[in-house]
Amino acid sequence: MRRTGTIFNVQRFCTHDGPGIRTTVFFKGCPLRCKWCSNPESQKMAPQLMVRPSKCTGCGACAAACPEGAVVLLPNRPAQTRWEDCTHCFSCVDACLYGAREAAGREASVDELMEEILADRVFYENSGGGVTLSGGEPLLQPQFAAELLARCKEESLHTALETCGHAPREAAVQLARSLDLVLFDVKQLNPLKHRKYTGMDNNRILRNLEFFSQNTETWLRIPLVAEVNDSEDHMDALANLAIRLGVQKISLLPYHEGGASKADQIGLEYPIPGACKPPDNHIKRLTRIASDLGIEVTVGH
Amino acid sequence: MQTDARQLKEKLTVKAVRNVRRGYEKDEASRGMYRPEVKLDLARSRLLTESYKQTEGEPMVLRRAKAIRSILSRMPIYIQDWERIVGNNVSTPNGIYFGIDMNWRSVKRVVSGEEGQSLLDDAGRAELAQLVAYWEGKSLSDIQKNAFSGDILKYWKYEGTFIWTHWSELGIPDHEKVLAVGFQGIIQEAKARLEEIDRTVPPDYVDQKEFLEAVIIALEAGVTFAGRYAALAREQAKDARAPEDEKRLLKIAEICDRVPAQPARTLEEALQSFFFAHIIRYIEYSSVGIGVRFDKVFGPFLEKDLASGAIARQEALELLKLLWVKFNELGMIYSPLLSAVYGGAATVQAITLGGVDEYGLDVTNEMTHLVLETAEFMQSLEPSICLRYHDRTPDALLSRAVDVIRTGVGYPSLFNDKAILPMLKGWDVPEKDARDYGVSGCVYMELPGKNIVRRAYGGIHLPKVLWWGLHQGVNPVNGEQYGARTRDPLAFTSAEDLMDAYLEQLAFFMERFVKIENTCRALYERYLPRPYLSAITQGCIERGQDCRKWQYPSIVHDICIVAGASNVADALTAVDQVVFKDGKISMQELLDALASNWEGCEHVRRLMLNAPKYGNDHPQADAWAQRVHHGTAEVMARFKNRFGYACRGDGSAVSGTYGAALMCPATPEGRRDGEAFADATLSPVFGADQKGPTAVLKSASKIDTLKTYNHLLNQKFSPDMLSGDMKEVFMNYIRAWGELGISHIQFNIVDRDTLIKAQENPAQYPDLIVRVAGYSAYFADLSRGLQDTIIARTEQSFQ
Repeated sequence: MRRTGTIFNVQRFCTHDGPGIRTTVFFKGCPLRCKWCSNPESQKMAPQLMVRPSKCTGCGACAAACPEGAVVLLPNRPAQTRWEDCTHCFSCVDACLYGAREAAGREASVDELMEEILADRVFYENSGGGVTLSGGEPLLQPQFAAELLARCKEESLHTALETCGHAPREAAVQLARSLDLVLFDVKQLNPLKHRKYTGMDNNRILRNLEFFSQNTETWLRIPLVAEVNDSEDHMDALANLAIRLGVQKISLLPYHEGGASKADQIGLEYPIPGACKPPDNHIKRLTRIASDLGIEVTVGH
Repeated sequence: MQTDARQLKEKLTVKAVRNVRRGYEKDEASRGMYRPEVKLDLARSRLLTESYKQTEGEPMVLRRAKAIRSILSRMPIYIQDWERIVGNNVSTPNGIYFGIDMNWRSVKRVVSGEEGQSLLDDAGRAELAQLVAYWEGKSLSDIQKNAFSGDILKYWKYEGTFIWTHWSELGIPDHEKVLAVGFQGIIQEAKARLEEIDRTVPPDYVDQKEFLEAVIIALEAGVTFAGRYAALAREQAKDARAPEDEKRLLKIAEICDRVPAQPARTLEEALQSFFFAHIIRYIEYSSVGIGVRFDKVFGPFLEKDLASGAIARQEALELLKLLWVKFNELGMIYSPLLSAVYGGAATVQAITLGGVDEYGLDVTNEMTHLVLETAEFMQSLEPSICLRYHDRTPDALLSRAVDVIRTGVGYPSLFNDKAILPMLKGWDVPEKDARDYGVSGCVYMELPGKNIVRRAYGGIHLPKVLWWGLHQGVNPVNGEQYGARTRDPLAFTSAEDLMDAYLEQLAFFMERFVKIENTCRALYERYLPRPYLSAITQGCIERGQDCRKWQYPSIVHDICIVAGASNVADALTAVDQVVFKDGKISMQELLDALASNWEGCEHVRRLMLNAPKYGNDHPQADAWAQRVHHGTAEVMARFKNRFGYACRGDGSAVSGTYGAALMCPATPEGRRDGEAFADATLSPVFGADQKGPTAVLKSASKIDTLKTYNHLLNQKFSPDMLSGDMKEVFMNYIRAWGELGISHIQFNIVDRDTLIKAQENPAQYPDLIVRVAGYSAYFADLSRGLQDTIIARTEQSFQ
């Protein structure tokens, strides 16, 4: 099959994206713009330049290679990028010998991904693991994702989808056929707050959650950001929603600052400076709310 | 009970050697090679010398036996107030062994230099000088040095490409036989054999007779030795402070009266009998390793005693802990040069657990668990534990093993029957014998009871061999033609040409290496027969031949350590990709960059570093790694030992990958002059593995054990990767390793931050243990450079 899609990473030996040892394929492109996003390079669909100043030696190869003059050299400092002039042609990436400039995102074919996925089959078989599609949002590339999952099922691999849920129903239906597990992100139950922090309301998301939970084993994942979605009431509502939908597991993912530095590396201003994770004892309280209702809760993965 | 046990841990003596050299360069020599309380023990040297003086002119095998008798009947002995298993290879608890008959020169230097000043007082130094006066010209190293002349003498001296060493011997005696029939049973066998040859009078009648008489003398000396402990225990019992102490001493006396002379009946007798047999081997000649399949051999004794109520599980555990303390009392002297290769090591005593019996059934029993429990509690350098893994290794055992691994102590290291049994079969070992293999030290594979007096005779440093291939065998500093005259690298048209040059250089050096080794082994046979070890090794008495005169018919024998294969593989991959496929630089530019140690050529180094690397499941890089290993093994096998068996490599690179690399200039994979090689045969170059721990195993699985040699693979994980619900994942990772048929794996479980803190504040981390190679060591005993190599191992993490 020749179909291709845009991904930004394939990570082997993942142990927190479903059961066992897994390979996770990160899709590029996301409909949401969550302010705390830990992978901001996953948001845009098109491949984009990513710069790591800590690796830059100031050798100047990038500036010489850039056709737009978008790289500025200053003495004794890492090369600076004028993002407004960058066309993401990646000439500087090819020129850099130090790994300071990389392309986030690439076209990949289903065949090529299958080869990489199957390389770890022996680990899936020994651990009850398999493949997880994550992102970004796999549902934004439904044909590609569906084909990839179908191929995994042909190989009898366990399949999981990590999704924000914001997609047309058809996309969800198309993927559900080849899925063993859905890790469904719920950021906020209140539609207004949801729009405020992610740019979209959550109507479609909650309907897709309902769909998946009826068709596939579904776990909830909640990125916990202090003051944004960590109230006990919100947790209570989530837990009750989980009970109603028959969801048996909730993962609480406390906010971490990984996204802030990455935003800088792609020339974005991080939209939520000063965000922080809830205190540990508060997380314990939230955990108890759900576990008292008989739901399995994990923290951090 | 708990309090007692804690006190027990305090009794652990630490005789590990600090590494004070890199090759011939000083490396933090001023802190001394040993802890201040450790002393060089001269008792063996003194008694050996006296005996040698009295037996001049007699047949060598009898001289050796009489020397053993002299030592065992007169060496001062001791029993400490907590001991239940007694004995040592030296005369005091803090002593370390010294084989004056092997090599005294470096030891003499050590005790007079800053590295080893605390090892002897002035009177000791004076006595040593007198003893040395006798051995000058008589020790094996003297005899050997005088044996060579001409061109070969040049290669005998260390130049950085290969290192030939004396060093200690391994070998797994037939402990099961000693436990079953006792020394007396074996003496009867030797006597019967003597009577038989009196009738048959074979052509080598005299040789056989002398040998068998020597066997009897050595074994009788062993019985005498145990009897002295019985007498001492009775003597001490008279002054016992408390009734239970008296009881303890009288029990020791009773047991030492019985074993090793007679068959062992109980676990306690079995452990004591084994320990005597073990230490006498260490006394006879400089030795390392154990190798006994501890659970297989002692499990039945434990189970019988538990069933009869003769011992409670808790008491058996206590006995093992006491035995563990005794293992740590066995120390030995290293030369400063060897401290570079065995940094942090003591006597690399390894025991084997798990695996299958002669019928292919899993041997796990209560003793397996008891040993792991002891190990988890003691966390001592000795003994290192080697766990044989196979498809039917019980989950409960694997789970227990992971608990011990998680402590960070570095063991159990795992050996994969799926790879090793076929490997042994390929070496013509019958299935029944192969199923009984044990690991005696490091990753040294041996067969219990079989005549394999194994020695690691040195190491070959493959990146330096490759470097010669880039220089036509000519030393650029002085123009000397030192290696083979291979093709001009500027005429190379592909990486294949470099590979050919590498293999040709390897053959050139192996030829010289093996000539030295074979000559030396002939000298060992002539001057250092081993009547005691022969007595407890299968086949010697039947043949009337010392164990040095013949060998178990297989290539399971002496080994040559191969270091740096991953560097060579990465170098070839980079040359292939950057010079020939992409044409980004010319061979001349590469040679210039290497000659300048990359200075001013950082862009060239970067291009080479950015080429694919072994350890990432990358087809090209791994294909080169496969070719390097398979090709290296093939070249080595062209050379034969004295008995006609092929030479082979071994993955136990110890800490030599750090020490050995000092004299290797920059190499094409991006390594700078003197930088350490990858730390084991299957380990990727430091930091080169970027695709995680599954990719490392996939790469390693492409190196065919059957076409190569016995391997070693280090992996580093942080402790939380083995805790909580991650433990199951880790066990599954091990199961996948087993299925992939990789012969070995071991783990450093410590996070990078801890290592860095320990490097900065060693005083705060005196007990931090790390896995170096096939042994564990205190991190503080390693010099900064060697510590850096441990820190540089890629830390694998779960995503």
